[in-house]
Amino acid sequence: MGSSRRLGLLFLAPAFVMVVLFFFAPTVLTGVFSFTTMSTSTGIYGGDYFVSEDALRRLASEGEDQLAQQLAGTSYKIDSAGIEAVRVGEGGAALADEIAATLAGQHFADQREAERAIKDLNSRPRSIRALKAVVEQFRRSVAGARFADKAGLYAAVEGAGITLDEAQKEALAGASWSGWHWTVQNFKRMATTPDNARILINTILYVGVTLALFHVGFALVIAIASHYLSETASGIFRGIWLLPRITPSVLFVLLWKWLAWDTGFISRIAALFGAAPRNWMLDTAAHAWVFVVLINGFVGASMGMLIFSSAIKAIPAPLFHAAEVDGASHWQQIRFIILPQLRWPILFVACYQTLSLLASYEQILLSTDGGPGRVTEVWSLAAYHSALQNYAGNLLYGYGAALALVLVVIGVIASLLFLRLFRFKELVTQPRIEI
Amino acid sequence: MLETRLGRLVRPARRALCVAAVAAAFAGAAAHAEEMTVSVWAGGTGDADMYRIDAIKMAADILSRQEAIKGHELKITVEGKPYTDWDQFKQAVTLAGQAGSGPNIVVTGHEDIASWAQSGLIVPVEDYLDLDAWPISDIYPNLLKIASFNGKIYGLPQDAESRPLFGWIPHLKKIGYSDSDIAALPGRIEKGDYTLYDMLNDARKMQDAGLVQPGYGFYPRVSNGPDYWQFYVAFGGKMQDEKTGRLELDKAALEKMYQFFIDAVKMGVTRKNHIGTPWDQWYTEVATGKAGFWDGGTWHYARYTGKEGLKDFFGSLMFSLIPAGEKGGVANTLTHPLVYLVTKQKDEHLQEVASQLVAIASEPRINALHAIKSAHLGISRSEAHIGFYADDRWTREATERLLPHAVAMPNNTHFGTYWDVMWKGLQTAWQGQSSASDAVNAVASELQGSLGDAIIIN
Repeated sequence: MGSSRRLGLLFLAPAFVMVVLFFFAPTVLTGVFSFTTMSTSTGIYGGDYFVSEDALRRLASEGEDQLAQQLAGTSYKIDSAGIEAVRVGEGGAALADEIAATLAGQHFADQREAERAIKDLNSRPRSIRALKAVVEQFRRSVAGARFADKAGLYAAVEGAGITLDEAQKEALAGASWSGWHWTVQNFKRMATTPDNARILINTILYVGVTLALFHVGFALVIAIASHYLSETASGIFRGIWLLPRITPSVLFVLLWKWLAWDTGFISRIAALFGAAPRNWMLDTAAHAWVFVVLINGFVGASMGMLIFSSAIKAIPAPLFHAAEVDGASHWQQIRFIILPQLRWPILFVACYQTLSLLASYEQILLSTDGGPGRVTEVWSLAAYHSALQNYAGNLLYGYGAALALVLVVIGVIASLLFLRLFRFKELVTQPRIEI
Repeated sequence: MLETRLGRLVRPARRALCVAAVAAAFAGAAAHAEEMTVSVWAGGTGDADMYRIDAIKMAADILSRQEAIKGHELKITVEGKPYTDWDQFKQAVTLAGQAGSGPNIVVTGHEDIASWAQSGLIVPVEDYLDLDAWPISDIYPNLLKIASFNGKIYGLPQDAESRPLFGWIPHLKKIGYSDSDIAALPGRIEKGDYTLYDMLNDARKMQDAGLVQPGYGFYPRVSNGPDYWQFYVAFGGKMQDEKTGRLELDKAALEKMYQFFIDAVKMGVTRKNHIGTPWDQWYTEVATGKAGFWDGGTWHYARYTGKEGLKDFFGSLMFSLIPAGEKGGVANTLTHPLVYLVTKQKDEHLQEVASQLVAIASEPRINALHAIKSAHLGISRSEAHIGFYADDRWTREATERLLPHAVAMPNNTHFGTYWDVMWKGLQTAWQGQSSASDAVNAVASELQGSLGDAIIIN
């Protein structure tokens, strides 16, 4: 018994690894990211201490105006410490001596002035990179500089002649930190952004209508209709409805766009009746929703169709024969034989497709991109737009993750509800008879 | 006999020595030769813009020859990757950069500098280049300023452009404009005498005269882009407070801008569902007289006269600054230079070589190839004196008429958030889902929540 249990665990191990890597880890990471300020500008892996103009503004807004003013501006001083650093460094003794002889004691307000002064010397480094390294030895300011750690930052500030107390050190380190930090701001922003309420309503509308009309409703119609066709005809019929699922999304949506845009098929046909050309997909909010539901509906209906068709096939044929002998019409067969037998498959498809629709956005992205005027923006698309789309190159991973986390929470709650609805425990109970 | 024996012993040893010497010579040469691969990713780059990458290849050839003369064999392989789509490009650069597999050189809009510099994804080219040396000393200072962040030059401008208002001349004539009126129109616009609302009225006249279809009188850009900031500026809006460097939202200006698009829809000269129109359709329509007015880019010249087959560009199109929103206001245009940026690498030598390549690629004759082929504007004074560039009517006239009035977006880490929220507000107002004032209040509320002190809201 013990060895077979171990063997079972061994067989389950690959599945366990996959679940951890591809399901559990992304969910945990989404949760972690959502409580951070992560974005392109903070990076993911960490950061450094960057005394940028933005950092000095932050420092000033935290009540350290005077310190911010002291730290602003650049200064280069040709002093003995710098000259010695050049002597022992790449610059060499000749350059150090020439600097000492010609530039000692001079101040420069910016890097370029200091560079020009050293560039004029006979012993100047030949490479620009080496020249800049020499100039850096005389920098006596921190504005615009980056430091790998706090110690380096504090040393540079002291080198610039500014003494910091402990509170100032902490304030400067906090304001100049370029990496991410923990925050609940993403959730506050989510709760206070007026748009998000509408996006939530859009999502409920999208999931509800697509599910009811297509993923369950239309799938059921196709499955039942094909049941009453001959084997060959039903095969072809079901095959046709599989096409949207097997066609690449980009191509499938492009076909819809060709159908709908101003110079597309619908406009051409409508023009024969005197209608002005228009973009039928984006013309109004109602049009956009119709197309979004149709596109997603046709893609998603195939799964329900296959499950329902298989379930109908599994109903013992004598039931239908007996019904026909009793004079039952097709409608009566559907109502009293097929639908009662499909209760569990319908529940399963409804459950699965609800979760699937909540997380799906690619067809909407490709067709309306949430437009016109964001009327078809759904929650998952908003998360995508925040986390992976920004015209100024600053992708907001933290805020996008917070939006995505809402979907995770809704998904988990919905799954628990569906498990209760399914009476999952009953499905997996041990049989009461010995086999 | 002894000699023969010795010979038998010595000959193999001599051969071995020769082989060793030749091998050592080859090994020395191999050690001296340096090979490197430099990758260049360019955003918003179609067929006409391939010199963004090809210029780096030309620069690699020149740098290798320079190094060879100095006795250093340097072989540089340039791998280019153009992206026509901006979203995909920015995703690719940022995500690959985080994963440590990004390119060495990036060609992108200057507005990316702030975020990418803040995170350390890019390094200042200033650290590896002599700014006093040609060709950098010859680049227009305002363009270098646009490529700067925190007082450091992070990138070199790859091109310059501006975004004019275009008007279809045959339609203007049919609604009563004489040739001299049309010639004077850019000047009237520059003085603030002809406003955005005057333009809408003329667009309406074109529609009423049956010259263009309803909704085609004013036919703006079909997707989000820098162009829309021009309309905010036209109503007196500022993107950044010069004094403090903080972002700035002028609610009154933004409301007027939103109202302008609401009014354009109300007047029937712009379609309510205009955003999302396919770009190819838009290009064909504006280049064939199906629209009255539109905002475009100087680089559109290449598309209109090339793929779209517009024969008489100057006889068909009036171009000007974007008119002021109100009488006496300030007309403007926006320049959105692309820049060459160098990414942070483990090996600093790669950063140095990449910076040198970018500098060589910015030499006037090389940059002029891109400017003329893609109908962009030059980046340096000398470029304007190269016959190949100077003889081109479009670049000359566009430079003179537009560039002196050009504004640019700020290089600010938070600008992306500001832009996103502004665009969302415009979409909802344009679609009639909210009034201009409600949309602006929602924008202000979201910006206050997300940016806090980083933005001044007036």
